[in-house]
Amino acid sequence: MKSVLLFVFILSGGFGFGQTAEEILKGVIDKIDLVEDYQADVQIKAAIPIIKVPIAKAKIYFKQKDKFKVESKGIAILPKQGMSDLTGFLSNEKKYSAVLGESKTINEHKTRLISILPTDENSEIILAKVYISTSEDLIYRTILTTKSSGTVSIDYEYNLNKKYGLPNKMTFTVDIKKFKMPKSVASDIRNNDKQKKYKDNEKYSNPVVGPSHRF
Amino acid sequence: MLWKNTINELLKIATKIRSYIGIGALTLLIIIVLFAMIADGKSYIGFVTASFEQTLSFNGKIINGNLIAFIIMQMLIVHVPLLISLVTGDLLSGEEAAGTIRMLATKPISRTGIVLSKWIAATIYTLIMTVWLGFLSLFVAKWMFGTGDLIVLNSNGLLIIPEADLAWRFGLALLIAFLALWTVATLSLAFSAFAKNSVGPIVSTMSVIILFTIIGTLDVSVFDSIKPYMFTTHMAAWRSVFEDPYPTSAIWESVLILVAHIAVLLGITLFRFNKKDITS
Repeated sequence: MKSVLLFVFILSGGFGFGQTAEEILKGVIDKIDLVEDYQADVQIKAAIPIIKVPIAKAKIYFKQKDKFKVESKGIAILPKQGMSDLTGFLSNEKKYSAVLGESKTINEHKTRLISILPTDENSEIILAKVYISTSEDLIYRTILTTKSSGTVSIDYEYNLNKKYGLPNKMTFTVDIKKFKMPKSVASDIRNNDKQKKYKDNEKYSNPVVGPSHRF
Repeated sequence: MLWKNTINELLKIATKIRSYIGIGALTLLIIIVLFAMIADGKSYIGFVTASFEQTLSFNGKIINGNLIAFIIMQMLIVHVPLLISLVTGDLLSGEEAAGTIRMLATKPISRTGIVLSKWIAATIYTLIMTVWLGFLSLFVAKWMFGTGDLIVLNSNGLLIIPEADLAWRFGLALLIAFLALWTVATLSLAFSAFAKNSVGPIVSTMSVIILFTIIGTLDVSVFDSIKPYMFTTHMAAWRSVFEDPYPTSAIWESVLILVAHIAVLLGITLFRFNKKDITS
């Protein structure tokens, strides 16, 4: 049994090293392109130091190439970027150049790093680091550096819709800037405690769990 | 006799134009707030979410009836005491100014009974104002803006309370707000027992509220020992209901202090009115 497993690992590793960055990306894009549009019921759990928010249920709508909409009855907090930006960005091969990087194991999945640099000087995405499993053509981690929102890191977990490249769980980690409390609304006569001070660039994670996708 | 006299007092309140000034002003203020929220609610709420908007997006119905109700309560709870004292500050001093106090004293009711009937009438008027505030801010705002989760901004950051968890919070908040307004009504009634016209008690009540509020907000350690005992410190206790975790002991403390103020102020009013020389 051990030898079989070893064989699988070697085989998958072998494919990765034989491919160029463009070929690896093409495998992922082809998988993403299988789905024209989908809607997913998601649960959004936010762990933000200065925001207490219950788990929100929402519906996500996506249409190729980059149409994305969130519908939620309650208040749902999502990162401003990272939900659909990458797929839209990757779909236009002429607008970026890709460089093959190191190998890394993420959640027991062997991945290759591909650094993507936009060729368009006005691109919102400055740099995208994508960790792709070459054996599955699946993205397991993305680190997006954007002009307006700083760096967003996204971890993907797959389950039911693996063959379409649709994750079951996405965990976002973003930098939040120092929170400035508007004094006029925060004045709490009863509260004599000094206002809590938060560090600059505190990180928070925002797992989005999508139990079901409909195409 | 106490009940009959209370009904008489309520009728007196109902026949005075000033009693409707408060309700009218409250209605007008809420209509203005509702109109402002329809016209430019997004930019109003923008300053709450602005600090996060570079990185995060807030999805869902942020501007809803619950948020509008919270904003209205926050805005008006400071000003409603003035509207209450317009009526309650006149209850005893108005009788003296009109010269009807002696006639009132000839009725087969004790002076304590007179004060208590006026105090009960003041309580009912305060309750009507609170219920009206609650009705306009909750029901009308919900009818106009729909319902949804509530975003609360406090000194620790943002708190989002689910819609299902809001009905009891608003109920309890209105109950505590009523207790705070009842304290103000009793304070103005107490001032009314000392005065010969109604302007004095109304101005005195507002002066005390302004003075205590300023002391409460001054970050000077010399006042730290008295701040917890000032009723103005606890007038905003209703806001604590919208905290998580819910500070039960702090709310009970506020309730007890407000009730203690009501009891002491009513005692002062009874003592003063029983000793008052109304013959000259």
